[in-house]
Amino acid sequence: MGAPVLLASEVSKRFGPVKALDKVEFHLDPGEVHALLGINGAGKSTFIKILSGIVQKDSGTITVAGQEVHFRAPEDAIRAGIATVQQHPELVPDMTGYENIFLGRETHGRGMLGRVDQRGLIARAAALLQRFAVPIDLSRTVAQMSAVEREAVAILQALAADDIRVLILDEPTSTLTDVERDDLFRLMNILRDQGISMIYITHQLEEVFEIADSFSVFRGGRCVARMSIDDARAQGVSLATMMLGEAMGEVFPPKAAPGTAGEVILSVRGLSSGLDFADVQFDVRQGEILGVFGLVGSGCDELAKAIFGAQPAERGQILVNGEEVMPGSPRDALAAGIFLVPGDRRTEGLALTRTALFNIPLANLGRASGKGWVLRRRRIREDAQRMTAQVALHPPSLTIPASGYSGGNQQKIVLAKGLYAEADVYIFVEPTVGVDIGARAKIYALIRELAQSAAVIVMSSDCDEVHGIADRTLALHKGRQVEPAMGTFSRDQLLMGGIMGGAHP
Amino acid sequence: MSMSLSGPAQPAPQRKRSFARIITNLWLLAALVAMTLAISQQRPQLLDPGNIATVLRSFSIMVIMVLGLTWVIASGKIDVSFMQVAALANMTCAALLQQGWGWGAAIAAAIALGLVVGLVNGGLVARMKLPPLIVTIATAGMCASAAAALGKGTVIRIADPGPLRGLLETTLFGAVPVIVLPVLGLCLLAWYAQERLAMGRYIYAMAQNEAAVVAVGVPVGRIVVLLFALSGASAALAGVLLAANLSSGQPTIGGAYLINGLTVVLLGGMMVHVGKPNILGSVTATLFLGVLFSGAALLGLPDYQRQIIQGALLLTGLAVATGAARMHAHRRKGN
Amino acid sequence: MSGRFILSRGAGRVVAFAAMVLALGAAFTLAEPRFLSNANLAGIARHMAANGLAALGLTFVVIVRRFDLSLAGVAAFTAMTMGAVIAAGLPLWVAVLVGLAVGVGLGLVSGLAISRFGMPDIVTTIGVGSICAGLAFLYTGGRSIFQNFFQSGITDLNDARLLGLGVSLWFLLGIYGLAWFVMHRTRTGAAFYATGENPVAAYYSGIPTRRYVTLAFVACAVCTVLAVLLILAESGNAETNKGANLMMPAYAGVFLGAAIMGGTSVLASFAGILLITMLLDGFALMGVPYYYSDGVVSLILLGGVVLFSDAARGWLAGLLVLLPAKAPATQGEKRG
Repeated sequence: MGAPVLLASEVSKRFGPVKALDKVEFHLDPGEVHALLGINGAGKSTFIKILSGIVQKDSGTITVAGQEVHFRAPEDAIRAGIATVQQHPELVPDMTGYENIFLGRETHGRGMLGRVDQRGLIARAAALLQRFAVPIDLSRTVAQMSAVEREAVAILQALAADDIRVLILDEPTSTLTDVERDDLFRLMNILRDQGISMIYITHQLEEVFEIADSFSVFRGGRCVARMSIDDARAQGVSLATMMLGEAMGEVFPPKAAPGTAGEVILSVRGLSSGLDFADVQFDVRQGEILGVFGLVGSGCDELAKAIFGAQPAERGQILVNGEEVMPGSPRDALAAGIFLVPGDRRTEGLALTRTALFNIPLANLGRASGKGWVLRRRRIREDAQRMTAQVALHPPSLTIPASGYSGGNQQKIVLAKGLYAEADVYIFVEPTVGVDIGARAKIYALIRELAQSAAVIVMSSDCDEVHGIADRTLALHKGRQVEPAMGTFSRDQLLMGGIMGGAHP
Repeated sequence: MSMSLSGPAQPAPQRKRSFARIITNLWLLAALVAMTLAISQQRPQLLDPGNIATVLRSFSIMVIMVLGLTWVIASGKIDVSFMQVAALANMTCAALLQQGWGWGAAIAAAIALGLVVGLVNGGLVARMKLPPLIVTIATAGMCASAAAALGKGTVIRIADPGPLRGLLETTLFGAVPVIVLPVLGLCLLAWYAQERLAMGRYIYAMAQNEAAVVAVGVPVGRIVVLLFALSGASAALAGVLLAANLSSGQPTIGGAYLINGLTVVLLGGMMVHVGKPNILGSVTATLFLGVLFSGAALLGLPDYQRQIIQGALLLTGLAVATGAARMHAHRRKGN
Repeated sequence: MSGRFILSRGAGRVVAFAAMVLALGAAFTLAEPRFLSNANLAGIARHMAANGLAALGLTFVVIVRRFDLSLAGVAAFTAMTMGAVIAAGLPLWVAVLVGLAVGVGLGLVSGLAISRFGMPDIVTTIGVGSICAGLAFLYTGGRSIFQNFFQSGITDLNDARLLGLGVSLWFLLGIYGLAWFVMHRTRTGAAFYATGENPVAAYYSGIPTRRYVTLAFVACAVCTVLAVLLILAESGNAETNKGANLMMPAYAGVFLGAAIMGGTSVLASFAGILLITMLLDGFALMGVPYYYSDGVVSLILLGGVVLFSDAARGWLAGLLVLLPAKAPATQGEKRG
């Protein structure tokens, strides 16, 4: 394998009283895909920021190909051959793929008053594609591209700088479908063949065995383990246990005992909406969790929004407690007792600049004002305190803005908001996206707790999640419902149903 | 096992698209010609050489006024101080001439002042991350105040007509003031910068996704400062031209230009690159507005009715642009 | 920041505001003893009433994260409208109702264009304002309207006193009190703020956000009409340039107040407009020419937003680091 391309030794970083990194030891070999694992707060994102020049280390040494480096700005890192693709790469929608790739480098260093050589850009893009044989049409605008194509554009943009040796990919699969993820992995293999080393961050542990050659685990600001995948396979180690530092209990809470489900609360009858989904039909009872598995683009998100009135359906019926309600807006849906925990909690779920106290009562201002007009401020505070305790918000403060919390804790605030809304039906869309493995079990337990008194639907593109949490499951494939033939799906049947559209391969 | 990064190829209806493009590119020009013909049917005086010269004269000044503004708005920011910068430059020029300065020095000082105001605007927006509207409202107020203070609240007369007067008054073929030539030259230069230089590309990219432009290391802050500085300088140049044109410094001259300038830039943003303010669009829209106003005056409409027409024009244009953008977004989502 | 010497952030801001009022009052009194005279204080109260109402209207719009630049145009048109109604010999209350109705209508036009049709706020309101400024000439072609003003009793709004204070001040306090109650103690206020903070999340919480954006523009126009009413009462005639001087103080008041108090709110706007009005009146008393006033207000506005901006706070924090040998806590670290 030769000398490591990147070597970090005794790297430490402190934010005020918080020790984010404590003498981290790390190395990366040439041409390997190396997974970086750890729960939120373990220090892996700080470490990545140091490697990409966004944050400066307090002490320790970093060498690239044997040369010690000091990064004061992102440009320094790129010059040393380390490029980073952010979790949500920023691209200009109306520009073509190659215009985005060479954005800021159009003029060969002659600055912004240099002339743009459009033909030269196309030639450079062709040369790049020749080196990394990515099958992509770069003459289309980014707005016309799929999520994985955008990721490819972002990766090519990172590689367009000279002599990039190390590529850091920050959770690149979080917005991709399974099929697109496989495309991305093929792309990563192409890069590996070209001798590019990759540091790959993910929360999806099964991906590690699929794509990585080796991995490191961060915990409490230290790099606690480094292993090759072959060794890990041979020893049968549990990645989750290594990340948490203790054996992880069962992630999913026990399912409801058969026959304990109560009355039907929500009935969906022949619900259709344009090209998004058609003839969806199901019941959910009090006390049970219905799981809906669907890939991105399957219509899951649109179905959830249709039941919640945010994107009204065209045909069909929605009944709550036997009464027909066809919500034309979230307001109608909430009045009918339906609450949505949206997949994109940062834009759809929370006022990020405001506290939990502000966010929690928002979906039920009627309760907050005791059915009147004037807010009952003491009651709101007491309720909010109780609910943040119930969802185990950490830190359990009512004065920190929501933006100051981790993904898992932001989701807990949305859950507390749902509790306050006192709905009969709770719909969760991608409930654990961006939530680390430590907080996941708590979220699942809370979902199960909600199902005691309400009907719950969990929609997700994570098949194991749907299968693990739900009492009954169905799959959505290209807007069509795939029902189990024998009453319930096995995990593999569910997966096939969602990917292929049929329960039987 | 083939990779399927690219989606299914979309055979674009090329011919139809290019025809549609010509329509969107040039409809304002067609509207300008149609309006000119319609008004000249009623009032042939519209096409008198003297009237054409008057229209082109104010056209030249107005184009200079909105040259920098066009890019500021194209980059997704706003500058509402340009007309007061023009007023300040106008008064500064007149006051310095009154003090016995020469025209050259007075012009230089006035433009330098506009540049400084632009730099302050740009600096506060780019470095302090303040909202551009608030910053430019405040600097506009200060400029207006300073402009009035220079003349103690009244007009300053200019005795010496100066060299610019010649550019404004001398006409080619009796209908085209000489000033039009350098102004159009400047526009061509700006058009070249906008279409061919990296800077032009960054301006439009910033409006769409500033973070993406920052992420690739483009000095976005410096561009913002530059755009506001250009806006200040070009408005100041317009103010100087106004001083020459009116032979006086008028402290309240700015008021009328705010709405004119914004109308021109936004109306112009609906041609050539739809939804994106651009130099060619601004030039065409300025001429359009100039002919419209001249025609309205010939038809005997009072000032306030022109103001109402203009406001309605601005709102209509805005509504059309917003509607088009919405349809565009809708179609895109349908894909 | 470790706040050992600071009581709390909110209290610190109130103290800072009080200090500014006292310093300003003291400075003006030193320069011109008449500043504390009854006549001048009454004048401040009167001017503050009109400015304060305009600022309050703007506050609603700024809370839903929009701007309204039609203030001056709306003021001009409604001033002439109310003047025309009064001149026609109709009772004052009819004039006020007509004015309010016109205001509601104009607010609806801007509000619906912006919230329903997604038109950009700044340019839309500039357009509406321009049309209004033109429409103000409809009645008389631009001549002043003064007929029947005295008989209609409108001037009483300016002259009458209650418990030793001018009626207009009571009017202002009453409306601010009402606005404070609605915005900070009722579900309507919570919905307004939620709409401004994150409209999508608010919509998903069942709040009809478009309605609140529209409502903000309507409230702004209505407050402008009320401000205009006080101006008509003070001057005893209606002119097309009435209200031209409302916009700058309103913007300065709202943003200066928000800067001092750490966020846009009814009380912040009140604080801001108090400072602005003291300044304007103080300068007028000292005989500073009228054309300086806009400049001074602008300077204060800019100074306020610069001093209290995040960037400035960052620099100040940077300076503080140099003094004690204690590292500041880094903001923005993820918790949990």
